[in-house]
Amino acid sequence: MAGPDVAWYLAVAAFLFGIGALGVLIRRNTLVVLLSLELMLNAGNLALIALSRHWHNGAGQIFALAVMAVAASEVCVGLGLVVALNRRDLSLDVDRLSELRG
Amino acid sequence: MTGGSWLCLLAPLGGTILITLCGTRIPRVAAGWIATTSCFVAFAGAIWAFFGVHDQHFRPGLQLCDASSGPCRGEITTAWTWLQSGNFHVGLQLLVDPLSSVMMLIVSGVGGLIVLYSIGYMDGDDEERRYFAYMAFFVFSMLLLVEGGNLLLLLVGWGLVGLSSYLLIGFWHERPSAVQAAKKAFVMNAFGDATMALAFFILIAHTSSLSFVSAFNVHLSSTAANLVALGLLGGAAAKSAQIPLQTWLPDAMEGPTPVSALIHAATMVTAGVYLIARTHPIFEQARTVELIAAGTGALTLLVAGLIALVQTDIKRVIAYSTMSQIGYMFLGAGVGAYANGMFHLMTHAFFKALLFMTAGLAIHALAGEQDIRRMRGLGRLMPFTKWCFLAGALALVGIPPFSGFFSKDSIVASAAALGTWYGWIFWVCGIAGALLTGLYTFRLWFLVFPGEPSPFVREHYHDHHGREGAWTMLLPVGILAVLATVGGWLQWSPRWTPFTDWLAPAAPTLQAAIPTNTQEYYTSAATVLAGVAGIVVAWAIYSERSMAIPAMPFWRRTLENKFWFDALYDRIFYAPAVWTAGLLRREFEEPVVLQTGPDLGEATLETGGLVRRIQTGLLRTYVLFLAVGAAGVVLAFLIAK
Repeated sequence: MAGPDVAWYLAVAAFLFGIGALGVLIRRNTLVVLLSLELMLNAGNLALIALSRHWHNGAGQIFALAVMAVAASEVCVGLGLVVALNRRDLSLDVDRLSELRG
Repeated sequence: MTGGSWLCLLAPLGGTILITLCGTRIPRVAAGWIATTSCFVAFAGAIWAFFGVHDQHFRPGLQLCDASSGPCRGEITTAWTWLQSGNFHVGLQLLVDPLSSVMMLIVSGVGGLIVLYSIGYMDGDDEERRYFAYMAFFVFSMLLLVEGGNLLLLLVGWGLVGLSSYLLIGFWHERPSAVQAAKKAFVMNAFGDATMALAFFILIAHTSSLSFVSAFNVHLSSTAANLVALGLLGGAAAKSAQIPLQTWLPDAMEGPTPVSALIHAATMVTAGVYLIARTHPIFEQARTVELIAAGTGALTLLVAGLIALVQTDIKRVIAYSTMSQIGYMFLGAGVGAYANGMFHLMTHAFFKALLFMTAGLAIHALAGEQDIRRMRGLGRLMPFTKWCFLAGALALVGIPPFSGFFSKDSIVASAAALGTWYGWIFWVCGIAGALLTGLYTFRLWFLVFPGEPSPFVREHYHDHHGREGAWTMLLPVGILAVLATVGGWLQWSPRWTPFTDWLAPAAPTLQAAIPTNTQEYYTSAATVLAGVAGIVVAWAIYSERSMAIPAMPFWRRTLENKFWFDALYDRIFYAPAVWTAGLLRREFEEPVVLQTGPDLGEATLETGGLVRRIQTGLLRTYVLFLAVGAAGVVLAFLIAK
C-alpha cells in the first residue's frame, strides 16, 4: 500500500477547497457558484477518504458516500432554482438577485 | 364540647359564604337574617362548649392536658396538621377552656344582638349584603382569635379581625374620611401584628413550638421572656388602642354605628386583654413588661378620659370612653388580676355596646346627626332610648347596682393590693379615671337627653312607624340594657366570686394582686364617690342651668387636639415619608426612571441603524462572512489546542 504521504492528499484537498471557496466568493454566475460549491464538497470528500486510508478506518469512506448523496440532492435543488430563474427571464447574476420580493 | 367549638367557629363563616354566593339573588333583608342566624347558631355552639367545659369539671377523669402547665381544664381538638417543618408542627386546632368559652359566649352573644340591630340600622343602605357578609366574617375571625388552639392560629384570627375592621370602617367607601380612617386603623394594627410575629419568632427559636402548652412550659431566659412579652404587648396595645398606638380608634368611628358597637367597643378592641390573660405565663416571666402594660393602661385611661371631656361627636365621646375602659382592663390584667380584667371586658361589652346602640338610635332618628351640641332634649321624644342610655351610663360610671360597679372596683382594688409605690399610683389613676368617667358620661347625658327639645331636634326628629326604631333595633337594646344592669351580679368580690373561680384554671389571679377585704371596701367607696362627684360636676356644668367654667384655653386646645398625638405622628412618620418620596421623585424618578425609557429607545434605533449596513442583500458578502467566521472558529480551535 505504498503511495504518497497523507499530507499530500490533504494539501490537494485544501487547495481544491480554496479554489472552490474563492470561486463562490468572486464569481457572479449562479452556475459557476454551484460548480465551486461542488468543488468544496469534493475537497472535503478527498480529505475524508485520504484520512480513512491513513487510519485504516472505513467510517470516513462511508461518510464520503453520505456527503455525495447530500451533494447530489443539493445540486438538484440548486439547478432547479437556476432553471426556475431562467424561465422567468431573470438574470443569473447573483449580485442582481438581491431583492427579497420577486 | 369540641363539636360546639367547631359549630361556633364555622357557623358565621358559613353565613359569610352563603351571603357571598347568593349575591343579588336573595333580598337584602335576607342577608341580614342569614348573618344574624349564623351568629346565634354560633352562640348555641358556644353554650354547648361552655357546658362541656363546665361538666368536665365534675368528671376529672376526662382531663386531657397536662395539669402542670397551660390550660388544664378544657380540651384541644386538632382537625389536621396545618404546617410542618422539621420538628415544628402547627395544627389547625381549637382550644376550649374556661377562658375561651367565656370569650366565645361574649363574642357570639353580643355579636348576634348587634347584627340583629344592624338589620334595622342598615335598612335601605345600598350595599347591605356586603355589610352583613363582612359582619359575619368579623364574628368568624374574632371566634378564631379566641378559640385558636395555638399562638399561630391566634395570630391568624388577630390578622383577620384587623382585616374585617378595615373593611367595615371603610364600609362607606365613597367618603374619603372613612377610607382614610380605615387605612389608619389598618396600618397601626399592622404594626402590632408585626411585633407579635417577631415575638413568635423568638418563641419558636427558643421552644420550636407555638402551642399554648409547650410554649408556656419552657422557662425562657429573662431577655427572651422580656422581648417576647414586649412583642405581645405591642400587638395588644395596637389592637386595644392603648397609648402610644391609640389614635386610630376615634377615627374608626367613621364606620356604621353597629360596627363601632361590635368591633370598636365590645369585642375586637378588647382582644389585647384576652391576649394578656391567655399568654399570662410569659408575662409572669417578664413581670416588668407586665407592669408596663398596667402603666400603659393607667395612662391611657386618664388621657382618654380627659380627651372625652371636649369631644362633640357623640360616637367619639363613647370611643374615648372605650379606650379609657380598656385602660382599666389593661391595668387589671397587667397587675395580675386577669379574671378582673376579663370580668370588666364582659360587663364593658354589655354596657358599651348598649351605649353605642342607643347613640345609634339617636343618630338614626336624627337623620345622621352626631353633634351633641344640637341634640338637647332628645329624651322627651325618645324615652326608651333615654332610659336604656341611662342604664348604660350608670354601668359605665360604676354606680351600684349596675354592672360596671362590680367589675371596675375590683380592678382598682387589685392595684392597691400590690402595695408598692406604683400600685398606689395605679390606684390613684383608677380613682381619678372614675371621676373623669362620671364627668364625661354625664356631660353627654345632660347635653343630649333631659330638658325641652331644641329646635333642631324638633325639626329633624322622625320616628319609625310611631316607635323609636325598628323592633330589630329596640329588642337588642332592651336585652343589653338588662344585661348592663344585672350582668355584674355574677361576681361580688370578695364575698362571691364565681367568675374568678371559673377562670382560675386558665388564668389564675396572681397572689400579689388579691386585695384584702378592707382594700376592696375602701376602693369601692372611693370609686363610687369619685363617680358620683363626676356626675355632680357634670350636672352643675352641663344641665340647663349651666354654670360657667373657667376657660383655660391652653388646656382646652390641648384636649381638643388629643394631646397632639396625631400632630406628633404626622411630624415623625408622615412628613418625613412624604419628604423622602418627594425627594426621590425629584432626584431619582424624573431624571433617572422617566428618562431611561426614551433613552433606551433611541439607543436601540441607533444600534439598529449601524447594524443595518452589513445587511447588503448581496449573496457574496454573506458567504464572505460565513467563510471568515468559519476560518475564525477553526483558528480559535487551533489556538486553544
